[in-house]
Amino acid sequence: MSRKLLLTLAFAAIVTQAFAADYQTNLGPMPLDDETKLVIGGRGEATASSDGKTMTVKGSFHGLLSNATEAHVFISPVCGVPGKAIFDLDVTKATSGTISGNFKLSGAQATALRTGKLYIQINSEKAPEVYPWGPKGNLWGWLFPAHETAGANVPQQDHWFIPQLDTPCAKDAENA
Amino acid sequence: MRNKTILLLGAAIALGALGVAAFGPIAFAQGASGPFTQAQVTAGHEAFDANCAPCHLQDLAGTNDAPALAGAPFMGAWGKRTTAQLYSKIATTMPLGQGGSLSEAQYTAIVAYILGRNGARAGNAAFTPASAVQIDTIANGRAPAGSATVAQNSGRQESAPAAGQAPAQSNFARAMAGQRVADPGAFGLPAKFGLSLEGNIQNYVPVTEAMMVNPPDSDWMMFRRNYQGWSYSPLNQINTGNVGSLQLKWMWSMPENGTMEITPIVHNGVMFVWGTGNTVQALNASTGELLWENRLGPAPRRPGPGPSTEETRSLGLWGNNVYVNTPYGYLYALDARTGKEVWKTHITDELKIPGGNGTMFGGSTGGVIIIKGRVLVGMTNCGRNGDDNHCYISAYDAATGKRDWKFITTALTGQPGGDSWGKLPDNMRKGAETWIAGTYDPELNTTYWGTAQAKPWRRDLRGSGDGATNYANSTLALDPESGKLKWWYQHAPGESLDLDEVFERVLINHGAEKYLLTIGKPGILWKIDRATGKFIAATPTVFNNVYENFDAKTGKVVYRKDIRDQKVDQWLSSCPGPEGGHDWQATSYHQPSDTIIIPLSQSCVFMLGNGSQTYFEMPGTDGNMGRLSAYRAADLKPLWSFQQRAPFLTGVISTAGNVAFVGDFDRVFRAVDVRSGKTLWKTRLATTVQGYPVTFSVDGKQYVAVTTGLGGGSPQLKPGTMLTEVHRPPHGFALYVFGLPDDK
Repeated sequence: MSRKLLLTLAFAAIVTQAFAADYQTNLGPMPLDDETKLVIGGRGEATASSDGKTMTVKGSFHGLLSNATEAHVFISPVCGVPGKAIFDLDVTKATSGTISGNFKLSGAQATALRTGKLYIQINSEKAPEVYPWGPKGNLWGWLFPAHETAGANVPQQDHWFIPQLDTPCAKDAENA
Repeated sequence: MRNKTILLLGAAIALGALGVAAFGPIAFAQGASGPFTQAQVTAGHEAFDANCAPCHLQDLAGTNDAPALAGAPFMGAWGKRTTAQLYSKIATTMPLGQGGSLSEAQYTAIVAYILGRNGARAGNAAFTPASAVQIDTIANGRAPAGSATVAQNSGRQESAPAAGQAPAQSNFARAMAGQRVADPGAFGLPAKFGLSLEGNIQNYVPVTEAMMVNPPDSDWMMFRRNYQGWSYSPLNQINTGNVGSLQLKWMWSMPENGTMEITPIVHNGVMFVWGTGNTVQALNASTGELLWENRLGPAPRRPGPGPSTEETRSLGLWGNNVYVNTPYGYLYALDARTGKEVWKTHITDELKIPGGNGTMFGGSTGGVIIIKGRVLVGMTNCGRNGDDNHCYISAYDAATGKRDWKFITTALTGQPGGDSWGKLPDNMRKGAETWIAGTYDPELNTTYWGTAQAKPWRRDLRGSGDGATNYANSTLALDPESGKLKWWYQHAPGESLDLDEVFERVLINHGAEKYLLTIGKPGILWKIDRATGKFIAATPTVFNNVYENFDAKTGKVVYRKDIRDQKVDQWLSSCPGPEGGHDWQATSYHQPSDTIIIPLSQSCVFMLGNGSQTYFEMPGTDGNMGRLSAYRAADLKPLWSFQQRAPFLTGVISTAGNVAFVGDFDRVFRAVDVRSGKTLWKTRLATTVQGYPVTFSVDGKQYVAVTTGLGGGSPQLKPGTMLTEVHRPPHGFALYVFGLPDDK
């Protein structure tokens, strides 16, 4: 086997590993006040896997205060800042159920996934996109690289997940 | 052109903030006719003063977490929305924590009054919840000429009443007169003010400077126990091996209503504690027997939990006196043996709000620190755009109450840092409140204070452009004998999202090196050389998206571009939000293990205009709003951390027994192992565990004390909305004292 081929295979392995990460999120209520909490509720979880060119999303939700109507993957300029819908997810039209979808990723979308700028949002009958006060919808959650979590009141030693410390920055992702 | 725009905007804000003059019947003669009647405006004025003014103020200028309801800030947030949306927002969320507690007639009247105060004109049709008119088509944000700020019979009582005086038309009386409130049983207002029980404490040991520098192991006689602000006790009788058997020794019900986040301080077996209505009590620290009580007054402004402006956080001791700063800006010296008043002064020179019918500028909520016979105290809510008042730290002779010095916490023209406010005139440089008392290094003879952000907190309303607005959101190092500024370090130049850096300054030595550690709402743990003010290190402790760049090597922060370019009608995401990161719940420095233990909160907000907010869970937290984290002070290395759904609403204390104590929003008071974070003991109390725990010993027995209470700003408001599964009684203000089982 030639040295050039070995280098090519090694590079391919590195690239594949770099994009083989899984991602996770906990879906929580969209912005609440004493008014919106009357129509927004529930919780869910989702994961995403990606080879750098495609992304598979799976998840579940429960406890919505009205039936889910639609779900999307969004791309945001900064984690925690609302953005634009880029993919439609299949969603159970009920107060509990599942979400899923398979998508091709552009380079920018793959980078956004790696840098914590993609999020999942579920809308519902009583918490639709057209809500007039602030950002809209029912449940949302930002996809972050898979990380260890602990239950309530269970201490983690030496390291715990803090998004801006444990998610590759955009520059790193672009260089990967 | 830009300067002209700024001046015009500033003038508009000033008009909105200063509001209107004398009251009486209001005749709104400008703007288009609104969907409400003059009768509703009149009724709304009364209802507003009783229910809304305690936080939003009678001139609707707003304060702290309560946004302005008049002028440019209000129109920016609400101009494009409808009157029906305004009604819905108010009726479902207000008064704070008691949404829906007023009648529909009261809510519609309040909306009519707010619209009128923003220039809308009364018409013939009564306002109803369904009346939907875009607000900027009927209001322009300008108060009608000739209207007034204060109702003649508002019932507000800003000044402390004379001893023995009954509270005039108190909230209790209002409730008794039939006003709907969330919890009619939550009234414990005194029948009269003054010294209700005179004490006769024998053998009281006067507090000396030597005691303050080296506090007796048995005592917790100042805010965070020692001058260095450690919240650490050398007591070790209660330790990791026996804390699991901790039991209640005694409890004491505290005055209800208002806000309580107090530190019960202890000296020589006597506990001194502040309660709402400025009720000061001395208790036998081992038995809970009341030794004296002085009801300084006034009563809380409304029933139920109050705002963060209606409290103080710690008392102080010196000689034979106990010192109390009150939320209305008074400073008292009481005789620690009897409770009798020794002297009383007002830290703000009794400045009156123009046209405010006696309403005074300036409060004081952060407790006191006493250094070399001077009582040092900070301020909050001090000065508005266009007037000559500013926030300051001031010092008073502990013996006489005479003011010794004051230091204005905003840099004025010609002062160091004075060029950091753009071209704003001095009377537009506001904020930099000091709502947590400082700490002190006796060796360097320096007192350290944190400051809040400039006001208005949004840079687009402030008019300071990209200016850093010194000395806001800074650490100040002052000479305690002269008030002279030694140095300052600004953590967040040009802050714009209500993210204070005002909290505890913890003084730590590593060998000959002298450091100061602090953490603010953005959640950055800072380490500063306290001799020079030089940046040493910093590390994020929670998710933060408000800084586009944070350089841990230099400490320089750069706000996100959309925050730098913010506009009043734009929703902005802020992680953390105004709950913090970190808030007033102070850290503990466990000196034996060089560990700093930090209560953290994990929530974000969307903010519109000057304070209209919705809240959401911080990304990456799985819905856990509370986090307790430990870092090694030497290198800021993370040691341990745990999360939970409810945020922590007390400071943390730690002991030589390697135990730390902390309480939370959902009524749990717990002990954890300082070395691992593992919970060793917990119990559940009457309502939110809120305040600053302490530990002390009497006759060789160690005790742990903590308060339950309600009221406050974002640390109560955010979880109160977001934790829909948590149900707390709307009362239950109390003091609990725990200890080990008695020997058989």
